Amino acid sequence: MTEKNNKQNSNVYSLYPRKLKMQISAIFILIILFYFYSLSKTGSDFLLLLLDFPTIFNKLVSMFPPNWDYIPLAIDPLIETIQVAVVATTFSILICIPASLLAANTVTTNKFVYQATRTILNILRTIPDILLATIFVSLFGIGIIPGILALTIFSLGLLAKLLSESIETIDSKQLDAISSTGANKIQVIWYGVVPQVLPQFISYGLYVFELNVRASLVLGFVGAGGIGTIIDTQLNFLKYQNVMAILIVLLVAVIIIETISNMLRRRVV
Amino acid sequence: MTINEGEFVVIVGLSGAGKSTFIRSINRMVTPTDGELYVEDENILNLKGKDLRRLRTKVGMIFQNYNLVNRSSVFKNTISGRLGHTGTFRSIFNLYPKEDKLKAYENLKRVNIEKYIYQRADQLSGGQQQRVSIARVLTQDPKLILADEPVASLDPPTSHQVMQYLKRINKEDNITTIVNLHFIDMAMEYADRIIGMRDGEVVFDGPVSEVSEKTLKKSIIVRFAKMI
Repeated sequence: MTEKNNKQNSNVYSLYPRKLKMQISAIFILIILFYFYSLSKTGSDFLLLLLDFPTIFNKLVSMFPPNWDYIPLAIDPLIETIQVAVVATTFSILICIPASLLAANTVTTNKFVYQATRTILNILRTIPDILLATIFVSLFGIGIIPGILALTIFSLGLLAKLLSESIETIDSKQLDAISSTGANKIQVIWYGVVPQVLPQFISYGLYVFELNVRASLVLGFVGAGGIGTIIDTQLNFLKYQNVMAILIVLLVAVIIIETISNMLRRRVV
Repeated sequence: MTINEGEFVVIVGLSGAGKSTFIRSINRMVTPTDGELYVEDENILNLKGKDLRRLRTKVGMIFQNYNLVNRSSVFKNTISGRLGHTGTFRSIFNLYPKEDKLKAYENLKRVNIEKYIYQRADQLSGGQQQRVSIARVLTQDPKLILADEPVASLDPPTSHQVMQYLKRINKEDNITTIVNLHFIDMAMEYADRIIGMRDGEVVFDGPVSEVSEKTLKKSIIVRFAKMI
């Protein structure tokens, strides 16, 4: 085939129209330009990062060997962190059950209640947990109470969203059958909705618990108690070997928790 | 139109003829926009809340897709027929009276499915699931059974088996039964009385003996006409 022929039929051999190709290329170029613009504006220079590498490396080396003697001191705050996560997850699970039923159109036929609940839950979800924790710390003072409150509210929004969506996808014919026996609303929920969503519900609960363990750690940095608080202080005192010890404890704890919850999840789903 | 106590009525008609709407109006799964509908001398069109639930305990329903709660056991599905007679608290904690549990078990025995009592409902075959849903309806102690295309998802032998159970229950317990079907031959075999519907209108109403060659032909012609 000659080159001329090729050119004539070029729009046949291409999967996309030429105009679309041009548009997509233009968009890509714009995005790449935006990356470089952001890099130069924020002063993040990759070359500088490479030149700084020895300092970074030295800092990493200063974390080793971890200060094993510090581990016993990290256990109590770790337990506190897990307790915060357990309490917050329990509260949010309890509150999310009625909330998610009200926010599911298979159960709540009243449009106003449905929309209102959805809106409230959406607002709850947009507030970052660290902001909630900062507010509660300033209201209630330093300690675990603000941590629990912040995580409860944050995971309530998340859990209710996940659960209400799985309630919306259930088979409503099974609910019809239950209500055709003369059952009232609560009985329909208990006999028709609960069996259908229970596995997902348990799975979401465990997921939110794992999430809360990690989140309660970050919240410690703003004074909401737990292991985050001691990481913060050790970092400020430049005790990097202590920080490393805490991180190792944490890693082990997180792995154990996730293994247990994965085991539980496999049993129910 | 009046349906008498103890009758076995089959409603035939094409898809979209209004059979389901008709049958679902009787337990108010849908609400007719106009007219009057009496169940045991009570106009049911304006019933709400508690009265509506009382009506539904009297009117049992069997569905095309069985509509069992898939993840629950056969027994739990059957006992859910008692929900309308049981308080909310008792039903949540499974505190059913002993005679209710016995009744559910007896009804499972009547449709020969008692050996699967603790199996999950979705592990059963279609015919078995429909039998469980018959047991659920029986456990309800209904005055009237509505069956909305009960055999449309089943193969012919299983269909006959399900229809035979319905017929036997109708005769033995004197429960008025209204069934939707789209096979006229099956309707002829089991019904006491046939109601034909087309485009939302009743076009035939009479005992099986009155269904003549002519009406049959007409419905077949209509069926072909719709298919084309």
